[in-house]
Parts: sequence; C-alpha cells; structure tokens
Amino acid sequence: MSELTRRQVLGQIATGTAAVIGLGTGGWLAAGVGPAVACVRPPGALDEDDFLATCIRCGRCADACPNRCIVGFTEETGREVSMRPGAGQRGTPVIFPRRQACMLCNGVPGDTLRCTAACPTGALSPVEKTEEALGNVDMGLAEVDQHLCYSFNGASCGVCVRSCPLEGTALRAGLWERPEVDPDACIGCGLCERSCVHYPQAIRVRPRGDIV
Amino acid sequence: MSKLHVTRRTVQVLVVVFMLLIPVLARYQNYVAAREIDRVLERWSGTAAGGVLQAVDTTMRALPGAEKERAGRVQRDRAQVLEYAQLARGGPWSATVGPVSMTDPLGAVESMVASRALPWVLLASLLVPLAATLLLGRIFCSWICPVGFLLELTDKMRGAMRFLEIRPRDLKPSRTTKYGVLAAGLVLTAVLAIPVLGYVYPPAIVGREAHDVVFAFFDRAEMGRFGPWAGGLSWMALLLVAIISFEVLVSRRWWCRYVCPGGALYSLIGWARPVRVKLQSDRCTQCALCVAACPEGLNPMKNQMGMECDNCGECVASCGDDALAFGFDGPLIDVLRPSEREVHAESKQ
Repeated sequence: MSELTRRQVLGQIATGTAAVIGLGTGGWLAAGVGPAVACVRPPGALDEDDFLATCIRCGRCADACPNRCIVGFTEETGREVSMRPGAGQRGTPVIFPRRQACMLCNGVPGDTLRCTAACPTGALSPVEKTEEALGNVDMGLAEVDQHLCYSFNGASCGVCVRSCPLEGTALRAGLWERPEVDPDACIGCGLCERSCVHYPQAIRVRPRGDIV
Repeated sequence: MSKLHVTRRTVQVLVVVFMLLIPVLARYQNYVAAREIDRVLERWSGTAAGGVLQAVDTTMRALPGAEKERAGRVQRDRAQVLEYAQLARGGPWSATVGPVSMTDPLGAVESMVASRALPWVLLASLLVPLAATLLLGRIFCSWICPVGFLLELTDKMRGAMRFLEIRPRDLKPSRTTKYGVLAAGLVLTAVLAIPVLGYVYPPAIVGREAHDVVFAFFDRAEMGRFGPWAGGLSWMALLLVAIISFEVLVSRRWWCRYVCPGGALYSLIGWARPVRVKLQSDRCTQCALCVAACPEGLNPMKNQMGMECDNCGECVASCGDDALAFGFDGPLIDVLRPSEREVHAESKQ
C-alpha cells in the first residue's frame, strides 16, 4: 500500500466525520420526537409498521391527490392540527381530515384512486373505483361526540350526513338529523369531519391504528 | 463547446425545469379538480402566481382534445385536462414521466431492506433506471442528478475564491468511503426498519425542497399575498449549503466522489457496463486536457475508466486528438467476445 500523505489523511478524517454526521442526521430524522402517533393514512395503505418500512417518502401520492388532502407528515404540516411526526413518520403521506379530507377521486377520471396508482413501492396498494373496492378501504372510523354535536343538543344539523360519500350506509341520519355511524361501512375518508360546522369538530375520524 | 457537452447541459437543465414544473402541475390539477380554476385565475390575474397558472392552463388547453364546446362556449375538457396534468409526478428520488415509473435504486434497495419485500410495482419502477445503469453506468450522476449539476456550476466559484485570496483546498480522501457509507446506511435502515438514507440523500432533498418552495409560492397567493417570497425551504436545505461550501473550499466534487451512497450503488450496478470511454493510446499526445476536464478526478490517459467513471463525456469533449471516444468495452464484452481478445493478443506478438 502506498504511503498516505497528510492531505489524504485530512481528507479521510473530514469525509468520515461528514459521513457520520450525515448518517446520524438521517437516523435522528427517522427517530422522530417520540413514539409513532396514530394518523390517517391514504387509502390502500399497509399496516403502520410495514408502511413505515416500505414507503420511501417520495411524495408521488401527494402530487397525485386531486384534492390535495395528502401531505408529508412534518412539524410544519402537522402544526395546523397539533400533531408531530413520531418515530419513523417524518415525510410519510398523511391525511389531516380537518384540513382536507379524501374525496375518493370522485369526479376525477381513472379507474383507480390516484394516490394508490402513483405509489412506486407498494406501501399503498391500488384501489379500484368500484363500489366493492371502495367499501373495503379502511383509513379509519368516524366517531361522534354527543356532547358537542348540535343534533344531540337541541338543534338539528345533519351536515356530516350530507357530506358522506356512503350516505345511508356508513352514516345515517337518525331522529333530529342525529348522525349514526355504521362501523362496518365507514371507510374513514374524513369528509364528515371536514364538513362539521362545530368547532372543535363533533365528528372525527379515529385513525385505523387507533381503533381498539 | 462540443455537442456532447451541450446535450448534457440541456438534459440537466430540463431535469431542473421538470423538478419545478411537477409541483406546479400538482397544484394545477388541484385547482381543476377541486376548485374553480377560472375564478382562481380571475382573482390572481396580473400576479406572478396567476401568470404561472395561466401559462400552464394555456399550454394544457392547447394540447389535443383538451377543449370542447358546450352551449356555444369553448371550455376545458375537464377529464382530458386532468389526464394531462398527471403525466409527470415526483422528483429525482422517484418520478413518473408519462407511463414510465422510475425510482432511484437506492430508494428501492432501502425499501426492500427495511420491509423485507419486493413487490412488483417496485420492480417495475426499477426497470428503466436499472437497465440504463447496467448499460451506461453512473449516468444518473452526470446527466440527471440536480445536485451533481449544482456542484458542477459551483465548481466555477473556486476561481472566485482564488480572486478573493482564499486558497481553496483539494483534499483527496479514499473513494471507497462511499461504499462504506452505503453499507452503514443500509445496516441502519435494516436495524430501524425505516428507509433512512432518503432523508439525507441530496437529490431527494432537492426534490422535496423544490416542492416546498413552489407550494409556498401558491399558498401565499391563496392567502392573497402576491409579493416576492423566500419561504418554503426547510432547514434540510442547509445540508446542501454545507455540501456546496465543502465543494468550493475543501475538496472538488467531494460529495459525488467520496461520500454519496447513491453514487456508490450506481457504481456497483454499472460495474460491468458495456458502454464506456475508450482510449486509443497511439493517438494520445499526453496533453492532459482530459485529466483537467474529468469531474470525477480520474485520469482518462491511463485508461482507468472503471466503475468510478460516470460516462459524462467531458473527457471525450475535451480531447483535441480524437484519442477518446465512447465504445463497447468492459468485463461483459470480454466475456461475450473472448475471441477478439485473443486475436488482439496475437496481433501484438
């Protein structure tokens, strides 16, 4: 082996340090600020652990979303809804229904949901826009807070029921327009939460990973 | 200025243009699909954001079949326009252009290592990058990578530094370091079961920052603020600043030659590439212009065009004696045509 010059040694030290700092930054960004939090993923997503391992954070699904409801999960995007990315969640696609909910590509051409067709890794598997396939989507489950909901407190409202794409099955209007959620039919698109006129929202989507 | 050099620069500029155009298209798609784009255009007319959106809209409507007549008025064919708006997506990390899906092999390998699975979509997305790299070597680095382009441009700043009486260093550590970085990154990815390298891989960062800057531009417009903007960049952009400062002050093409894990992977994949620069030693006059021209710091006069060469063609362009040219060579060709080698050996005797 040839003799190392001072320049080579210095260069090697600088490069090694930079590499360690770079990889450390990567690891630190991946580690996040605490345990992973439950959040609404785009349709067709793998289970959270597999999703975090498979997704390469390329943002193609976010580019593809016609309703711009999919955003990268960062401190900046989460701030609006007081959420922070936990372990491994930084940069992953997430839906904050209060901000913008999934409209299931309604009125948009194509046979599959656009985000699922855009995913290069299989973290989102293609969901066809048939009644059956859409019915099998499971992003979360809507939950009504009866203490907040107008219809449970003397004023009939029913806005969420009207906004539901599966109105009549997933969300039904009961007496005084009270929303009734069918847990088997609800797919967690979040349009009810988005449309709720009460603040804080009386109907909210509980993310799939958070349902006990 | 040789033709090869101009072609490469054109491709590099096109990549940057696409990188900025893709988030604009994403916003345009949103305004068509879920907003009333005509009212957005009306409200924004005369502003920069309005101008950009109008330009995209005019281009879209000029495409075949994008307009139709209804009730005596020419309108956008909404479905067709939405079809066009999804033609390009993503960034240098992973993108679709038309029907072709392409993912950086580093991203694919990371996803595979972390999830221990190789789905068909990922394999399909690897097809074009893998084929190109197997055939042509590290051409991503020299022809596509926006960071490589940026570093080539900032290379010129070394002259400015000398003018300011600051002597730029040119440290030359070992090229094998980057393979170590790649290995360490993949181990970290496997241990955490999270693709880690994508967070700090410069082309991926540039793609994300480009999105953020363009989105900030439109977000401001939506809030009625149309002035100049400087927002959207995250602090990850500082990593790019650090890389550029190192490039200018410490070591030429430092990141690409010694550190980049993506470059390392491309080198490994393109190890046996059949297309490479070949030297005709009888024509070479040892003028060493090619040595000065090589961005990777190799010596084409010694014919060391191994896996570190990224086939940028700068040496070919710089050679005044026609001693360097692209041709077929390498281990793969040797295996395929052993007879020619024997013939060559015989003719030498």
